Amino acid sequence: MLRSVKPSVAAYSPQCFIILLIVSLMTLHGCARIKQVQVQYGPFPAYPEEKLERHDFFTPAGEDVVGGMAVIRLEKGDTLPDVARHFGLGTNTVTAANPNVDVWAPEAGQRILLPMRFILPDGPRNGIVINLPAMRLFHFKNRGKAVATYPLGIGTEERPTPMGDMHVTKKVTKPTWYVPASIAADHRKKGDILPPQVLPGPDNPLGEYALYLSKPSYLIHGTNKPASIGLRATNGCMRLYPENIKKLYEQAPVGTKVRIVNQPYLAGRADGIIYLEAHMPFDDLPGDPLEDVYEKLATLERKSSGSIDWSKVRKTLAEAIGYPVPVSKVGPGIDLRPADIVEVNHPHRLLGAPVVPELQIGAWYVWVADKKNEIDAVRLAAMVNHQGPPIPARVLARRAGYRVLAGPFRDKTEAADAIKRLRFDLEIEGRLIAPDRKK
Amino acid sequence: MKKSLLLIAIMFALSIALVGCATTGDLEKVQAQGQQTNAKAEQALKEAQDAKAAADTATVKAADAAERAENAAKLAEERARLAEERARLAEEKVKKAEEDAKRVDAAFEKSMKK
Repeated sequence: MLRSVKPSVAAYSPQCFIILLIVSLMTLHGCARIKQVQVQYGPFPAYPEEKLERHDFFTPAGEDVVGGMAVIRLEKGDTLPDVARHFGLGTNTVTAANPNVDVWAPEAGQRILLPMRFILPDGPRNGIVINLPAMRLFHFKNRGKAVATYPLGIGTEERPTPMGDMHVTKKVTKPTWYVPASIAADHRKKGDILPPQVLPGPDNPLGEYALYLSKPSYLIHGTNKPASIGLRATNGCMRLYPENIKKLYEQAPVGTKVRIVNQPYLAGRADGIIYLEAHMPFDDLPGDPLEDVYEKLATLERKSSGSIDWSKVRKTLAEAIGYPVPVSKVGPGIDLRPADIVEVNHPHRLLGAPVVPELQIGAWYVWVADKKNEIDAVRLAAMVNHQGPPIPARVLARRAGYRVLAGPFRDKTEAADAIKRLRFDLEIEGRLIAPDRKK
Repeated sequence: MKKSLLLIAIMFALSIALVGCATTGDLEKVQAQGQQTNAKAEQALKEAQDAKAAADTATVKAADAAERAENAAKLAEERARLAEERARLAEEKVKKAEEDAKRVDAAFEKSMKK
């Protein structure tokens, strides 16, 4: 570009040269700004992780975006579901934001993004709003001026969570799970006979708290499988992490409105910038979310002083990375630099991360599998560890390959129960290892 | 008469002697020439042999070079084929790993149901 400008410079006046120089410098400056936006993993200001707000936010008038973004450096033994739970996120959110990171055996030292910024769903800001594609619950309080948000697990494609308006009819602590006929039948097909009811305790899938909804048989409850938060794994109910359902139970009274919506694409504004958040849409849900979001973006553009970069909109919709992306055009007064991304320190222990007891002489064990590859063994052990309730499992190095061993178990019954769960839940044929009585 | 005869005889003998001398010289000349020719022939032969040897060497070298070039081309082709094969295998491995991971994830997701 400079070469094409240079020959004409001699023919023009010095004033003209100065103008051209300024224009050139401004253009180059613009390029630098765009580049800064694209560099996502630069140096970020450090922030203590315990002070990072995960759930409770104020909702400034006229703004739709709450929270902020963070990064964390992983340590050996971390898994994405554990990191997700510690920071109040669902597994889906962390995996979508970090698509090239191994869920169960990520590299130690790797930096991952924690997308803790959310666009509030469209509609009235009162009661509980559940956005199914985002797998996130928003509990609006104080006439919509504050919001508490939690990740959740929802119904499968075969048994989806119903959409629509309902309300909380009953709240129960330590609920008993009355096994629905459909679930009993599913288990019976696999040869697993469930009891008619499961009393409160580690085997109860409802966890410690339950909010019964006006739509019969549907609940918002806790879970004994925290790794399922952010997955489509329920029979239509909505599960929250144990620590989150406790707060919701305390804060949402009976009669609280519950609105379940399908909004895979969310648009909103914060600090003069227009954001777009795209989740993978569920084909099985009704509505035309794409048309809705284009309308919303056009409205936001009309109301704002700047304009939208529509190519960025298309890219964001296609990528569906699950967190808000600025889609405003770079211009005077618009700074898209990710200034609010902070780097949090790794906690001493991730909340809820499974703890595997030390090997014990005289205990019972279960052989799970032999793997040639260490990563495969680590992945399998992590999945076994993240069952609900957890089955302790570890990787032992062998002369050729690696062994995944579950245990220690106190007695044969406990070990046999683990074998049964491995068979029915993970389709793995474990083998009982009795303690060596000679020793 | 005797004198004339003697003179004639002497003349005759002398001429014969002289003729005899001329024949020996010629012979030596011829012999020398023959030797020279032989030497030249040998030289020519040697040169021809050398030239042939050189030509043969050049031919061998050219053939070697051609063979080497052919081999190099073949090797390059082989290397490219191997690289392609390795890339294909690596791709297959990645694909398999992805499929395994998906299968593993699906198995885990299934295990998270009630």
